[in-house]
Amino acid sequence: MSRHLSSQRISMWMMGERAVDDERHVRECAECAGELARFEATLSRFRGSVQQWSDRHAAASERVAGPVRNAPIMWRLRWAAVAALVLLAVLVPIVRVTHRPPARAAMAQADAQLLEEVDAGVSRPVPLPMEPLLQLVASDTSDTTGATGKENHETKQQK
Amino acid sequence: MKTAATPEAMMTAVDLEQPPAPFADFDSVVRLHWPAVFRFILASVRDRDAAESLTQDCFLRAHRASGRFRGDCSVHTWLMQIAVNLVRDRARNRRLQFWNRARATAVDFDAASNWIPDEDLSPEARLLAREQVEAVWKAAGHLSERQRTVFLLRFVEEMQILEIAAATGMREGTVKVHLFRALEAVRNQLRRHV
Repeated sequence: MSRHLSSQRISMWMMGERAVDDERHVRECAECAGELARFEATLSRFRGSVQQWSDRHAAASERVAGPVRNAPIMWRLRWAAVAALVLLAVLVPIVRVTHRPPARAAMAQADAQLLEEVDAGVSRPVPLPMEPLLQLVASDTSDTTGATGKENHETKQQK
Repeated sequence: MKTAATPEAMMTAVDLEQPPAPFADFDSVVRLHWPAVFRFILASVRDRDAAESLTQDCFLRAHRASGRFRGDCSVHTWLMQIAVNLVRDRARNRRLQFWNRARATAVDFDAASNWIPDEDLSPEARLLAREQVEAVWKAAGHLSERQRTVFLLRFVEEMQILEIAAATGMREGTVKVHLFRALEAVRNQLRRHV
């Protein structure tokens, strides 16, 4: 019996590179045949486990597979959404700016009105609560002035 | 000597409005090939979200380029070629290298080794099988990007050497060298841990 298969010969075997001598040896050597069978079984289980693992994840992502079939449409929708967002980002500041002048004008008008009221208040001869008193004083003065004039007129006639 | 296959070499400029027969019903192409493409990408990047994204990208690119598919190889090989390029581009992305390293050192609770195929195994044999698959999984994670790609295409997707050469753009001899080194690394890992 020839020598056992080296690690390199086993790797070559698994790649499908099988020399005639190696095939003959494997037929006769249970140890090498067992080594190859174990390695093949391990790789087979690895394939099976990756497939099951992937199938499990694929099942979870099946919802994605549908949209992908319509990928061009989905991309168009995505671009439309992005365009809409960009449009909003541009338009919102513009709308705000265009709406600002009326608000400012109204505020300026209110300020002017307030200033006029303040001016009017400041320019009063007496404070607003004292205005009735002022009117009263004014009427008394006019009455007094009238009586004195009448008295003067009567004195002149007597003379 | 076999020249390296590139996407450009495998496509030719024909009328985009007249897709060739394999892509006439693109929905069927997606249904048929999605599992294999997703499986290869998932096993390569080990990140479900990234795998979903790259698989979608793969079919999107295939859809766009379907009019230029010349038919020099099978649709499966052609799709795998796109997938291999996407995985390669991702691996080369420097911004992701930190995260790839972080993931490689972290405990992977969601590894494929948790999914041993249903076999009539005793508990002891099942435990041993799981340890063996874990060792292969771990070894595959430490392979170079090219070795891992070739290993997965050969032993998970069961592609032939020439198909792998067409999908990866490598020469047949280069594929064999990478596959040999990958197998040696996997066997060493198995010897150490099982």
